[in-house]
Amino acid sequence: MNYLDANTWIGSWPFTFCDSHTARSLQTHLKQHGIQRALVSPLGAVLAPAPGPANRELLRTTRGLVGLIPVPVINPALANWREELALVATDARVRAVRILPNYHGYRLRAPGVNELVAELTARGLRLIVQMRLIDHRHEYHAMKIKPVPAADLAALLDRHPRLAVLASGLLQPELRKWLPLYPQLLADLTFAEWYDTLNHLREKVAARQLAFASHTPLLITAAARAKLDPSPRSQVERLAIASGNLDRCLA
Amino acid sequence: MRIIDVHTHPILREDQRGPAGAAQLIRRARAHGIGHLVALGDVLAFSRMQTAEQVQVINDETAALMRAHPHFVTGFCYLNPLLGPSAVEAEVARCVARGFRGIKLEIANNARDACMAPVMRAAERHGLVVLQHAWSMTNIHQRRFHTDPEDVATLAQRFPRVPIIMAHLTGCGVRGILAVKDCLNVVVDTSGAAPEAGLVEFAVEQLGARRVLYGSDAPVRDFGVALARITGSRLDARTQRRLLHDNASALLRLP
Repeated sequence: MNYLDANTWIGSWPFTFCDSHTARSLQTHLKQHGIQRALVSPLGAVLAPAPGPANRELLRTTRGLVGLIPVPVINPALANWREELALVATDARVRAVRILPNYHGYRLRAPGVNELVAELTARGLRLIVQMRLIDHRHEYHAMKIKPVPAADLAALLDRHPRLAVLASGLLQPELRKWLPLYPQLLADLTFAEWYDTLNHLREKVAARQLAFASHTPLLITAAARAKLDPSPRSQVERLAIASGNLDRCLA
Repeated sequence: MRIIDVHTHPILREDQRGPAGAAQLIRRARAHGIGHLVALGDVLAFSRMQTAEQVQVINDETAALMRAHPHFVTGFCYLNPLLGPSAVEAEVARCVARGFRGIKLEIANNARDACMAPVMRAAERHGLVVLQHAWSMTNIHQRRFHTDPEDVATLAQRFPRVPIIMAHLTGCGVRGILAVKDCLNVVVDTSGAAPEAGLVEFAVEQLGARRVLYGSDAPVRDFGVALARITGSRLDARTQRRLLHDNASALLRLP
């Protein structure tokens, strides 16, 4: 199966015992798990006061590594976000940017997000919204971070009905509730789970709205493939979820 | 290898599936190579504090599953300890007579509460394993009725002869593993939340390979994902086998 992973990270995460990956070690790790291509973002941009240095390192260290597609992080709450976006957009490999509203202290309803959407649309870039990075019940005790409200994402899509968005980290009930209402929304499977995840999702959700994602290194890479590989869904459908839908979104 | 899943809820009203859904879940478990399930009952059916009649309904459903799948399903008797010693003892006796091998406790009360004493005495008398719901309450703030890993440790110290499965490794986290480390009558199941990397390895390092068991929490978790917490870890094949089969087999006297 041709896998394109919608959600991977390089760098360190200080609050768990997960691996810290360089771009090269991530590429090797993913290959060992049969994942040929991946969108990769820098964990260093999540907690840093500004994402610029981590984005620069991402672009530098992924250069020449086949299969790794850099996805810089943009923080529209910072005054320099336009400059940062312009800078990362000069790299032809960048096809999308990731935002983390709950870690960066703004809501999807903020005016800056509308301005970012307009700028991304003008540049032909895609928007990835990290709805949750960690199950908020297990956040480090000093961190009081809630997931991005799915209703805020819905409001964003209402304001921009032609906007193609990849939502990363929605839960199974959220996927079943919101995806049927917003056919333009693509969502990854990072936190989707039921005893037969795909069958349960497909009762409500179109296959073309789902994208494979491992959330490496925060979650176990093999667990992501375990949602797709043994699924009784058709090969065509699983291929679309494994890579086709995200390829189409990024095209 | 005959994989034993020590943490499942084949019937779940929330999913509106009923017995047909349970049969579907069991087919899916078999497809993943699982050879035996522990059924814990629909423990949040009705409310978190069921009446004696409602507890009986939950356990009757588990008993029906055991009858329908005699070599595949082992039942644990769900209890609401707040119903008092008589109700607890009567329900345990009723379930033991039907072949149940353990007791399941959810969120009617905290495991450190005094109402647990009759439950644990009954477990000891009948040679039952107690599977205690547990989750770190640091960010949830419901410890009045939710059990923290530290509360499991308190329970285990009070009743050192009763084997306890602390549920939800991921929900208990690093702090939870350390909390029960010195309680040798506590083992931990690998269920709970998303498959956080590095945690199963840490549990084995701290508790030893004999004190960690495979559990999925299906249907709310994917069997494949739950298995991959172990098969996708850095643990060697022998240790993985212990977690997937040997430890549960020894604890529950299953083949």
